[in-house]
Amino acid sequence: MGNIMNNYVETGAIILFGIGFGIMLINNNLIRKIIGMNIMDTSIFLFFIAKGYMPNKEAPLILDEYKGVDAYINPIPTSLMLTGIVVAISMTAFLLALTLKIYQEYGTIELDEIIKLKGESHGHK
Amino acid sequence: MGINSFPLLMILISYILGFLGILFYKNNISRAISTITSIILVILSGFLLKYTISNGEFIYNAGHYTAPWGIELLIGNTEAVFAFLFSIIFFIVNWYSFDSLKKEIEYKRIKIYYFLTNILIGSLLGVIFTNDIFNSYVFIEIGTLASCGIIVIKNKRDNFLATLKYLVLSSLGSGLFLMGIAFLFSITGNLNMSAIHREVMNNHNTYTQVILVSTALFTIGLGIKSALFPVHTWLPDGHSSAPTTSSALLSGLVIKAFFYLYVKIIYRTLGVELLEVQYIFKVLLVLGSLGMIMGSILAITQSELKRTIAYSTIAQMGYVFFGMGLGNKIGLVFAYYHIIAHALAKSILFLSAGAIVNENGNKYINRVNGIGKRLPIELFAFTLASLSMVGIPMLPGFVSKWNLASEAAKTNSYFLVAIVLISGLLNAFYYFPIVVRAFFMDSEKEKSDTKPLFNINRALPIILLSIGLVYVGINSEKIINIFLSGF
Repeated sequence: MGNIMNNYVETGAIILFGIGFGIMLINNNLIRKIIGMNIMDTSIFLFFIAKGYMPNKEAPLILDEYKGVDAYINPIPTSLMLTGIVVAISMTAFLLALTLKIYQEYGTIELDEIIKLKGESHGHK
Repeated sequence: MGINSFPLLMILISYILGFLGILFYKNNISRAISTITSIILVILSGFLLKYTISNGEFIYNAGHYTAPWGIELLIGNTEAVFAFLFSIIFFIVNWYSFDSLKKEIEYKRIKIYYFLTNILIGSLLGVIFTNDIFNSYVFIEIGTLASCGIIVIKNKRDNFLATLKYLVLSSLGSGLFLMGIAFLFSITGNLNMSAIHREVMNNHNTYTQVILVSTALFTIGLGIKSALFPVHTWLPDGHSSAPTTSSALLSGLVIKAFFYLYVKIIYRTLGVELLEVQYIFKVLLVLGSLGMIMGSILAITQSELKRTIAYSTIAQMGYVFFGMGLGNKIGLVFAYYHIIAHALAKSILFLSAGAIVNENGNKYINRVNGIGKRLPIELFAFTLASLSMVGIPMLPGFVSKWNLASEAAKTNSYFLVAIVLISGLLNAFYYFPIVVRAFFMDSEKEKSDTKPLFNINRALPIILLSIGLVYVGINSEKIINIFLSGF
């Protein structure tokens, strides 16, 4: 229990990850699936950035003078997550575009209804 | 600018020329640029393969920053062989696409297709070469987006749904993969694979649970992308609805690159010495066996030609995971060999199936009757590839299946041997009916259109691939020795 309280950011990130994962798997609505994916990705960003944080240290920006290596937090996870954010955004954009196309084709964005429509059109052939 | 820099050059050339090609208005120019890219890739990877066979593996530092700061590319025999295989198949599939694309996708989208395949091959080569775990994540994402792109380029209802399925499952997979990286980074503080391995060896006793969790995350994450059995559900839709050449690339190359990344993570990053990692081999053995049997059974029940072939991919990936799950180097080497065998055979199958579907205007198996008279070359190649899939001696499918079975026999588990043999037989049940229908049954149409059709851009690529398939089968010992000397 003490571990969980000490690493509360990581704990929160894992809980968010589970929530996002669940939303993505369980929901039939495509927009909700995309939101779930975003929650999941953001939780990973939070987890990563929490790994770079060290208490009582500054952001690694040298304004007036260089205060030595020990004065700053670890900037690597933060910069990695910039790439992660770009990837997540392009995924989201692609998914939204696909959702739009699917709405134009099928008239709905509920997956169960789409599968039902698809089954009917196969039956007619 | 020695041979050392070829790997980076190959990745850069495919990206830069890809972006150059899309700038031109005419399709022909972007097609020519993509073809030139593939020829350059074949030449460079040929030199690379020759170099690594004589000189052993080497490390290239991208941008000349050394390991913990910069990104390393590590190229050994295995990487060079895969790069050569991928380049050759990319070149041949590109050639095939000259005529087939016009029939399958809209005119204005053709140059986008060439752009996307260039990006795809670049990122696959990146996934194979890189020795940096976060870099591999970036390449995976680029590769996933590009492969979704070449499915959805066919602007049809089924393609939108198939791509959506692929993209949703894939982004789940990459989420899990990134989480795995986060766990490993938190206990090692490194992103370089060799450096992570060093740190894990020092402190694995303290962090057994973290290592176990991240191994599981990598397995599921990359398992989704390389079509491990229970999480393969996106594959049949995606691979069967895509244009012919996209199916060949997706089924032949893309899932293999992700599998190889998984091997790199298990063997080179975490280390097989760890007990926590060894649990995973048993899981892979079970899932691989299930995939071999279930993939074949599902393939038998399909009525669409390309869907059958797509399900067969799941069965064949089952063999690959089975080989890795045996947990020793011999098993892994035959998994590699099976990757080569499958990449060649599956490209032939998809390309000739595409010719059949285009010629018939119908995607169902029960309409292929008598097509062997009209497309003799394509159907002979189809027969050859399906014989390799079933495991007839002299062909590569036999070599890998026979050796996997005898490796399994060494573990004294005759159940596993039985599974390999049964799965081989099941393959025969869905390939031979197609061949028999095509050659020995009369078509329902009138007899007037039974003249053999010959299209040089369709026949020659398929013939080249068939020659490659037979070559790989005859020279199996040589190829296996190349893999073995790489360890």
